[in-house]
Amino acid sequence: MAYKKIETFIKELKYSPTLKELKFMLHRVRQSPLSMLGSIIIIFFALVAILAPYLAPPNPDWDVTAYPGKSPFILPRTGFVPEPQPPSPTHPFGLTSESFDIYYGCVWGTITAFRVGITVVAATLIIGLSIGLLAAYYGGIIDEILMRFTDVIIVFPGLILALAFALAIPDKFDIKLGDVLPICSVIFTIITVTQFISKRQISWKWILMENLTLVCILTSTLIYFGNFPNVGIASITMTKLDKVLAALILVGWPGYARVIRGEVLRIRNEDYVEAAKAAGCSDFRIMVRHILPNAIYPIVILASLDIGSIVLLAAALSFLRVGAEANFADWGQLVEKSRVYLGSGASFIRYWYIWVIPGAFIFVFSLGWNLLGDALRDILDPTLRRR
Amino acid sequence: MGLREYIIRRLILVIPIILGAILLVFLITQLFTPEQRAFLYLKNPEKTKPEDIEATILMYGLNRSAFEQFWNWLNQLIQGNLGMSRTYVERGPVMQVMLTRWPATIELALFIAPITILLGIFLGVKSAVHRDKLLDHATRLIAIGGYSLPSFWLGLVLISITVLFTSAIFGSAWNPFGRVSLANQHIIRNAQMFTRYTGMLTLDGILNGLLNGRPWGYQIAFDAFLHLILPVTVVSTINVGGLLRLTRSSMLEALTKGYIITAKAKGLKMSEVINRHARRNALIPVVTVAGMMVAGLMSGLVITETVFQFEGVGRWAAEAATGGERGAPDVASVVGFTFFTAFLFIFANLIVDILYAYIDPRIRLG
Repeated sequence: MAYKKIETFIKELKYSPTLKELKFMLHRVRQSPLSMLGSIIIIFFALVAILAPYLAPPNPDWDVTAYPGKSPFILPRTGFVPEPQPPSPTHPFGLTSESFDIYYGCVWGTITAFRVGITVVAATLIIGLSIGLLAAYYGGIIDEILMRFTDVIIVFPGLILALAFALAIPDKFDIKLGDVLPICSVIFTIITVTQFISKRQISWKWILMENLTLVCILTSTLIYFGNFPNVGIASITMTKLDKVLAALILVGWPGYARVIRGEVLRIRNEDYVEAAKAAGCSDFRIMVRHILPNAIYPIVILASLDIGSIVLLAAALSFLRVGAEANFADWGQLVEKSRVYLGSGASFIRYWYIWVIPGAFIFVFSLGWNLLGDALRDILDPTLRRR
Repeated sequence: MGLREYIIRRLILVIPIILGAILLVFLITQLFTPEQRAFLYLKNPEKTKPEDIEATILMYGLNRSAFEQFWNWLNQLIQGNLGMSRTYVERGPVMQVMLTRWPATIELALFIAPITILLGIFLGVKSAVHRDKLLDHATRLIAIGGYSLPSFWLGLVLISITVLFTSAIFGSAWNPFGRVSLANQHIIRNAQMFTRYTGMLTLDGILNGLLNGRPWGYQIAFDAFLHLILPVTVVSTINVGGLLRLTRSSMLEALTKGYIITAKAKGLKMSEVINRHARRNALIPVVTVAGMMVAGLMSGLVITETVFQFEGVGRWAAEAATGGERGAPDVASVVGFTFFTAFLFIFANLIVDILYAYIDPRIRLG
């Protein structure tokens, strides 16, 4: 039985339009030389990231107990020479001041770059997707409220807001009952009211939801105006890199939410959505099974290619000294180490290897993603693609 | 709906966004500790003792509930108090420091914006017309290279190239840092020798030469112009890519429209068709992006001014974020600057939207 199911699935897959589209897309990518160059760059960096422990093995003799972080991402120190040292056979990219190895930083920095890019893109996509979908599907007051949120965040220049967030987010984050409950009550109230308006009938699910909302509102009032204990639920410790990630996510999601909202608004009135509604599908099912697969496909691909620009933003923050921990394997921070010599042109040029090599890593990494992304943007654009 | 009605409607729409921006900035201040937040109110942050900070926290209720704090903070905001800056030489109210540093940034932006916009539109139209030809691939590579470059790194590369070239040609290296060279800085600081009319040094220099008959005014204007070249190149290179790509895709879309075929069928010259029929319609969506560019510009300027040690608001904000040599971030300055840029962006977008409605009647009539 199961075997038969798989067999029919594969048979259907052969004629599935999604797969056909994917094949067509790959064909176009292979045709354009620039996007091939982009893929080669990305594959190269992926290999560097995977092979990092072999390319630049963390020193086993290195006394980890002397440092707070035991992770291999903290740059190993080979000496205490105050002046940077030029490239040599043992240190192919040279040493920064205080003898930190640049080659090690560049290799392990690749992992950091992937980590920053993938985490931020995944998180912004999930947040942007759910908010854009909810806003566009329900419309009306929910759309109005959610979109005003995105409007407000878009008003701030990205780098500057990320800078403020990265500074403001505390190291230790105590989440208390009084913080969670008001947010929960607002969300639950919206859900119950809209359910009532759209369905116009009362089910046991709705009554449960309504009671939950009332409990939330009551408890939060008691916490703020009465003596109800404000219990801590969780406490999160954040490293400096986590703060940067959180800041980039907070700044990044509204862009996706807007794009997805536009896409869903277009799809919402299609015949197959109407058909699903007529067949009695629940809102959740319509959103997840009928609208999402038709809206999400190009957006996810394009978003994943924004990794390049996110890494640039993170590097800029590092350059402004609002980045990861001191001596973390991070390209932006390596370039930042040359800022001390900026005052005089002569010593700045003499120590070129501190900033030229890590900066070139940032540039080529971002270039790879952008080359591929730009080609796909043209390929995926339905108005331009088949001409 | 006439244009006036549209403007009124657009102005009303701005109000919730301004309120939202105020709320968001307040939420950011709430993430700081009460001690850090106290710096928003201290009059003389340099000489504060720990007990003064305690007193300020109690006075403004900085450890009480968020609602009370929001009320207090809003009161201060209405009085125009954003706190005291403790970054750099110009210590004083954040608002005042920003306004004294503002002309330098405006001067930079006034050079960047026209260059970026004209270059972006020109190259975009060219690459759309020559689609999939060599020119298209070349401009595509320029655009992608532009927005893949880390702006700080591009600045560093340009600085070292300039220093190497000048020292090879003139024997001594030309210093690309700051707004003017060291000798001219002394003249500028002297109020008897140099009058500051606008704060933009290229304009002030010429005005000093013309109105006050000071021959060194022209020299300062030229020097300031030389110092503007590198930062302007950096920010334009970074920003031109996005505009170029947008113009290209909008132009490609316009070229498929029916009126282009009609124009061709009438036997018009190809240059006439492109310049008169296609480009005019393709440029309409590009106008909105010019408004969005203000945000990109401000972000770019923070980094570029830091690299070139250019005395504008951007560098001041970057130094405030790390607290300069003292280490602790200057909360008042960072929060004030964030707020300021948001208002700038809202204002710029308002103007662009009104302009958009003026150019494209479909917006205000539809």
